[in-house]
Amino acid sequence: MKIRNLFIISLLALSFNNSYAQDTISVKEKSWYVPDYVKAQFAGNIGLVSVGVGYQLFSEVLYSELLYGFVPEWASKANNIHLITIKNTFPIFRKKIGKNLTITPIAGFTTTLDIGTNSFTTLPSIYPEGYYVPTAVHFTLFGGALIHRDFKKPKTFKGVDFYLEFGTVETYLWYALATKEVDLIDVFSADIGVNFYF
Amino acid sequence: MKFLKNLLLVAITLTCFNCDHLFEFSVYEANVKSKQKNTTVKNLKLLERIPVNSKEFKFAFISDVHFFYDQLKTTIDDINKRDDILFVIFGGDIADQALLREYEIFHDIMSSLKKPYLTVIGNHDYNINGGIIYKKMFGDYNYSFEFNNNKFVLFDDIVWESEKELDFDWLTSELKGNTNFNQVFVIAHIPPDGDQFTDKLEQKYRAIMSENKVPLSIHGHTHNYNFEEGAVSYLTAPAVKEKAYNIVAVKDKSFTVELIEL
Repeated sequence: MKIRNLFIISLLALSFNNSYAQDTISVKEKSWYVPDYVKAQFAGNIGLVSVGVGYQLFSEVLYSELLYGFVPEWASKANNIHLITIKNTFPIFRKKIGKNLTITPIAGFTTTLDIGTNSFTTLPSIYPEGYYVPTAVHFTLFGGALIHRDFKKPKTFKGVDFYLEFGTVETYLWYALATKEVDLIDVFSADIGVNFYF
Repeated sequence: MKFLKNLLLVAITLTCFNCDHLFEFSVYEANVKSKQKNTTVKNLKLLERIPVNSKEFKFAFISDVHFFYDQLKTTIDDINKRDDILFVIFGGDIADQALLREYEIFHDIMSSLKKPYLTVIGNHDYNINGGIIYKKMFGDYNYSFEFNNNKFVLFDDIVWESEKELDFDWLTSELKGNTNFNQVFVIAHIPPDGDQFTDKLEQKYRAIMSENKVPLSIHGHTHNYNFEEGAVSYLTAPAVKEKAYNIVAVKDKSFTVELIEL
C-alpha cells in the first residue's frame, strides 16, 4: 500500500509540475520542437492520406514538414504501403486577397522513404554489388497555390491553409525529359491538403 | 490575381483531361487500369485470327526495355513495316524499378505495334509490387500457346527476385507432347549460363531442353546478342537499348535466326 501511495503522490507531483511548465511555455515563446501547425494531405505520391507536423522556418521562408503516409490495400491493389516523408515547401510570394485571407504560389520537393513493402535502401546480400539501385527512397517535385485564412477569434487553431499542388516523381520526370515517348503532362498528378496553425 | 486564377483553372483543366492519373498515392501502387489488364489473353485471341497458309512464318524477339522507350518505339516502328513478321515475343525486363508507371509506358508504346505480342517476365519486373502488376497487366508467369502447329512455351526462370523454386515440373509437362508439333520453342528471360543460375540449375535446364528435343531456347537478360548453335540452340537477344532485335524464321522442321540492327 505504501508503495502505491508513494507512486500516486509522485504522479500527482509530476502532473502539477507538467501543467506548471506548460503554462510558462504558453506565456513565453514556443520550444523549438513544438510544431507550428499540423496537417493532412490527400495524394501526391506520399500516401493516399498523409498526416504530420510542420514548422515555419527562417521567418516563414521555408515550410518544413514531417509526414506519415498510408495507402490501404484497397487503393494500392497490393499490400498496405507505409511512407515517411519530409516535405519542404517554399512560398514564392504572399498576396492579400481579402480580410484575413492570403494567397501564395508555392513550390517544393519531398523525400519519401518506404517502410513497408519489399523495397530496400541497401542491396540484399543475394545480389552482386550494383545489381539494383535502392528502391525505397523517392523524391517528388511540386508547384501549386495555397490560401491562408487567419481566424478572428482563435480557439484551438489560429489559422488554416488550403492548398492544391501538381507534382511528379523524380524517376517519372527523368523519363519525361530523357525520352520523346513520355510526355511531361502525363507524369504530373494533383494533390490537396490542409494545415491548421496553433 | 485574375491571371493567377486563370492560370490555376487552366492547370487544373489540363491536368484533369491530359494526365494519366489525376491523383497518385504512391510509386509502389499496383492499381492496373482495366483497359490494360489481361494483355496476354487479349493477344492470344488476336493471334488466333492471323491467317496462315504456309508452314513457314517469322516472329520477332525483342528483350530488355528497362527505360529505353525511344529505342523501343524505333524497334516497334521497324517491325510494323515488315509484313513477314506475324507476331512479337518480348523477353522480359519490361520495367526497370518495377513501377506501375513503367509498365504503363511500356504498354502504351506496345499498343502502337500492329501485331500481337506476348511477354515473359524478367527479373526487374518482379521487384517491389512488380510481380503483382505483371500478373494483372499481362497474366500468368508460365504459359504456352500454339501457332501453326508449333508450340511456344513461356517459362518464368527468375531465381533471386521471385523467391520461389523454378517450376521445372510444369516446363517438362508442357514439353511432353512435343512430337505432336512441328517444333517446340522455349522462351525464358535468363539464359541457362546467366548469373542467377547455379551449375546445377543450368545442367537441369539444358537436360530438359535436350530430352524434349527443343530446337531453340530463347532468352534476354545479358543485353548482348549471342547465338549458340547445337542440337539445342540457345539464342540471347540484344537489349532494346541497342536498337536491335532478332527475327526467327520458322520452317517445317528447322529455323533460322537473323539479327536486325537499326
